[in-house]
Formats: sequence, C-alpha cells, structure tokens
Amino acid sequence: MTGASDEILLDVENVSLSFGGVRAITDVSFDIRRGEIRAIIGPNGAGKTSMLNVINGFYHPQEGRITYRGRTRARMKPHEAARQGVARTFQNVALFKGMTTLDNIMTGRSLRMKRGLFWQALRHGPALAEEIEHRRVCEEIIDFLEIEHIRRTPVGALPYGLQKRVELGRALAMEPELLLLDEPMAGMNLEEKEDMSRFIVEAKLQRGMTVALIEHDIGVVMDLSDRVLVLEYGRRIADDVPDVVKADPKVIDAYLGVGH
Amino acid sequence: MFYREAGQYKTTYAADMAIFPIRQDRWGLALILFVAFVVIPTFGGPFLLNTMMIPFLVLSLAAIGLNLLTGYTGLLSLGTGAFMGVGAYACYKLATWFPQVNILVWIVASGFVSAAVGVLFGLPSLRIKGFYLAVATLAAQFFLQWGFARAPWLVNYNDSGAIEVPRATLFGVPVTGPSATPVTRYLVVLTLVSIMAWLASNIVHGRIGRIWMAVRDMDIAAQLIGIRLLNAKLLAFAVSSFTVGVAGALMVFLWLGAAEPEAFNINLSFEILFIIIIGGLGSIVGAFFGATIMHLMPIALRALPAMIGLPIEAARVEQLTFMITGILIIVVLIAEPHGLARLWQTAKQKLRVWPFPY
Ligand SMILES: Nc1ncnc2c1ncn2[C@@H]1O[C@H](COP(=O)(O)OP(=O)(O)O)[C@@H](O)[C@H]1O
Ligand SMILES: [Mg+2]
Repeated sequence: MTGASDEILLDVENVSLSFGGVRAITDVSFDIRRGEIRAIIGPNGAGKTSMLNVINGFYHPQEGRITYRGRTRARMKPHEAARQGVARTFQNVALFKGMTTLDNIMTGRSLRMKRGLFWQALRHGPALAEEIEHRRVCEEIIDFLEIEHIRRTPVGALPYGLQKRVELGRALAMEPELLLLDEPMAGMNLEEKEDMSRFIVEAKLQRGMTVALIEHDIGVVMDLSDRVLVLEYGRRIADDVPDVVKADPKVIDAYLGVGH
Repeated sequence: MFYREAGQYKTTYAADMAIFPIRQDRWGLALILFVAFVVIPTFGGPFLLNTMMIPFLVLSLAAIGLNLLTGYTGLLSLGTGAFMGVGAYACYKLATWFPQVNILVWIVASGFVSAAVGVLFGLPSLRIKGFYLAVATLAAQFFLQWGFARAPWLVNYNDSGAIEVPRATLFGVPVTGPSATPVTRYLVVLTLVSIMAWLASNIVHGRIGRIWMAVRDMDIAAQLIGIRLLNAKLLAFAVSSFTVGVAGALMVFLWLGAAEPEAFNINLSFEILFIIIIGGLGSIVGAFFGATIMHLMPIALRALPAMIGLPIEAARVEQLTFMITGILIIVVLIAEPHGLARLWQTAKQKLRVWPFPY
C-alpha cells in the first residue's frame, strides 16, 4: 500500500510488561510511521492486545519508552491518549449498549464539543448549532459505513458484525491521528471482511489516519498492511513488509505453519 | 388510528433532533399542558390539588433528579430523601435569613446547596462502584438525617424542632404559609417542575446526557474516547442533587408547610427509587408514569370502595392498597423490566405502523 511517510508517529522502545508472574510483553521495539497501516499478528496470547493497551495508556509497562508525536511520554491515562488523537476499538466490542447507533457515534465527538451545562440545558442557540454541526459529521460517517438503517437502533440489539462497524464509526468520529483496531474482522464472513477492509483503507487514504491493525486473517493482513510486526510469547520475532514476513521461516513455524 | 408520521418529512437535522419529532406527540404535550395549567386549576378542588397533584409533581421532580444519577449515569443512590432534606433546610435557612428576597429565588438556590453536598458525597464514586456505592449513599442518608435531628440551628431553634414555613408572597399573592391557596401553590409547583423537566430533558438529549450514558454502559470505553470519569460522575451527582434538592424545598414549602427530620427518612428514598424503577430507568417521562403508580393510584384505590358503595373499613382499605400496589410493582417489573416508559415507547411504535405488524 502507498501513502505512508517517513515520519515516525509512534516509537515503542524496549517495552516489557508483566502481570505478577506472567510476562505479556518482553523487550519489544517497533515504530509506526504516519499514514501507514501497521499490522500486528501472532498466535493467541502473544501480547498483541496488551501492546495496544500499552499504547493507549490502559497498561503501564514496567520497562521501556514510548514516544508519540516526538514526545516521550510518562505514564498516560486513557482519556489523555484520546485527547492526543489515539482512538481504539476492542477485540470484544465495547459499545454503549443502551444507546442508539447514532448516539454511540455522537459520543465519539464528545471531546470536540465545547458547550457547557448552561447551553446544553437550554438546547438552543450555540448548543443546538454545535449539536447540528457534529450530527452532520456523524451522518457522513454513518453513510460511509452503510449503517443508515440502524441509526436509531439500540446497539445492544444489533448482530455482532454490525456492532463492530458501529464501534469503528465511533472511533472514526473522534477523527484520531492513530487508530488502533483490535481484530475488527473477527467472526465475520467474507463479504463483511471485504467491507471492513474497504473502510480501513479509506480511513487511511481519505481521512489520513494512521492505523495499527491486529488481525488473524493472513490474507487480509497481506492485502492491507504496509508493514507487519509479528509477536510470539510476548517477543518480537519478525518485523518487515508483508512479502518478507510471509517468507520468514520463524514466522511460518510460529504462526502461518500451524494453520491459523 | 391517526398516530402517524406519514407525510412529516424532516428536512433538517434540527427538526430530526427535536425531542418530540412527531406532530401528534407535540399535540399530546400541548393538550397535557393545557389540562395541567388551565383545566385542573379552574375546576380542581383542594383535595385534587393538595393531596393529589402537588405531591405528584414534587415526587416526579425528585424522581427526575434521581433518574439523572441512577437511570442515566448508572450510579445507584439510596440517599434521595436526605438530599431532599438538604434542599428543604437550605431553603428554610436562606428564606429566614433574607425574608425580603423572593422565595422562588431561595427555592432554586437551595438546589445549589444540595448540589454541593451531593458532589461531596459523590467523591468516593470514582473508587467504589455498584453495591458498595449504594451502601455509601445509604450512609449519607443516615448521616444527614442524624444531622438534621441534632442541629437545632437548622430550624432556628424552634421549640417544635421542625421547619415551619414562613409566609412569602409573589407579586403580592401569598405562595407559601397558611394563607397561600392550593391553586397558587399548585401553579407555582407546576411551573417549576415543568421548567426543570424541560431542562433535564434537554441535558440528557445532548452531549452531557450521552457522556453519562456512556459512563453507565461501559466506563472503559468512555475513558477511551476522552471522557474523564470523575468529572462526568461528579457532574451527574451535582445536577441530580440540584434537582432533588429543589424537589425537597418544594415538598416542604409548597406541599407540607412544615417538616420534621423524619420527613426525609429512608422510606422517602425508597419511594423515589421505586418511582424510577416502575416508570423506567433512563427516562424523564417515566418519572411521571412512576409517580402516577406510586402516588395517584393508591389514592384512587382508597377512594374506589366508597364510590361503588362497598362497606369496608378504612384500615382494611389501607392494607389492600399496599398489597395491590406491591403486586402491581412486581407485575410491571416482570412484564417490562425497563418500566412503563418502555411500554409506552413500544405501544407508540406499534401504533405508528398499525395495522401492519411490521
Ligand atoms: N489484565 C491482565 N491480567 C493478567 N494477565 C493478562 C492481562 N492481560 C493480558 N494478560 C496475559 O498476557 C498475555 C498476552 O495476552 P494478550 O495481549 O491478550 O494476547 P493476544 O491479544 O495476542 O491474544 C496472555 O498470557 C494473557 O493471559
Ligand atoms: Mg487479543
């Protein structure tokens, strides 16, 4: 894929993370360049999800440094990561179940909406203008993701595949610089995967987002990604462009070979 | 049936975002407001106003307040009664310190005192959740009620130990105290409750309401989109306690006329909680439905045997009313755990497409 620049958006250096005795990540380094789709693959339990959690501040690694947009950061909380342009979807969808599709996506705009309690309570003037302005952005995302028909449905009642789409919509509504996607196509059929792939590519090409993508479907990974990081038992075993990774004997042994 | 949206195309987001997007709903609301503001005060007697409507409105407002916290933000509180007490005592102190200031100003100002106390007791909510938070609010209930009884300063060292509502006027018309007519008090309560219900409805339909619901439904994901949990929860405590505090001030100043610390006990907390459970968690209109079942229905049940000429003693009627109310609550909860508000939504949805089921 094209579109990546040489600018390093996120640099992870020698990160180690453990939970009590369990080592989830051991001394992993890699970087993400602005505008690329960066795949992270590896068998279950390899530490992929933990790595995303480290990036957006849910977990704090015991060792290592993380530099985002040129700033090496100290401990960061998830809501601060959001403020700095990091958005995220979860392996097991984490939507607001009691709210409609539209409200879920509108909630993604919360940080960009500024009107306080006073105007909100009146719902006129500036608050209404702001609500309309952001509603327009969300409607555009709803069109893009082809979920107009479920706009008013509480998301708890939606099938899994659509929930994944709504969750992507909520992340896109944040207009993040870095979009972290944890197995966005798990449990989907071929057609749904193709749709989702298209959305991810367009997020990159048209919306200028940088994407970190965890995915088990090797075909999808090879098609979409610019570079692939391979983890196994919390260690980095390969990191290169898809064609090189695909041919790496260590990767074939650890992952491709065993028939995922 | 004419409950249809056919032909009502929404050409702007503003129209689509209206809280009552369907024309028939707006007519229905206009009709209810007309009955409430014109028909009831014109034809209603003191029983309807004093015993039925004023308490109904006050309880509905308190339920809206609790619903903001429990129904929308997912933070269970068992201290509603005590927070109503904070509003009532604050209003009493303010009104007796500065009797020259209009009483309506103090009723609203008492909401701010209650909001401040609510935020104080809401502080632990970042660390403790669910059952344990409910226990903490229960502690607040008993602590505050104990405080009301132990601080004679709160009632200006009255011999009775109770709040004795002073006389106050609005444009020369008495609105509180013994000389205020039921119609005047009813209209004041109705106006305040309508305005506050409207404001609450606006809040829950905008950014802040969405943030509260996000915290309720999935707090991890809420943080991830940039929401600070503590801020969101404390704001919910503040706005909720404000509303509950105003309801408390209204309860004493425009309904009871006097109140001892016992008036704000745990039973009141539970009554408000039942109202929102029956009416529907996370629904403003549900508060009114719930108050109808919890307050108006028992009155109707009590009046029923006499109306149809059944010779039953008053005590027996009282027991029966309790039983029937209890059974109804259980039936409602089994039939529709989301309360009457959800039943109402479903019924409207069915009407929209009637007679075609899909
Ligand atoms: N919160 C946690 N507490 C304890 N162990 C954890 C936690 N999160 C992840 N782990 C452990 O870390 C390892 C990596 O898990 P994870 O990052 O979810 O792997 P992947 O996403 O690659 O399947 C696993 O052994 C898992 O059990
Ligand atoms: Mg995982």
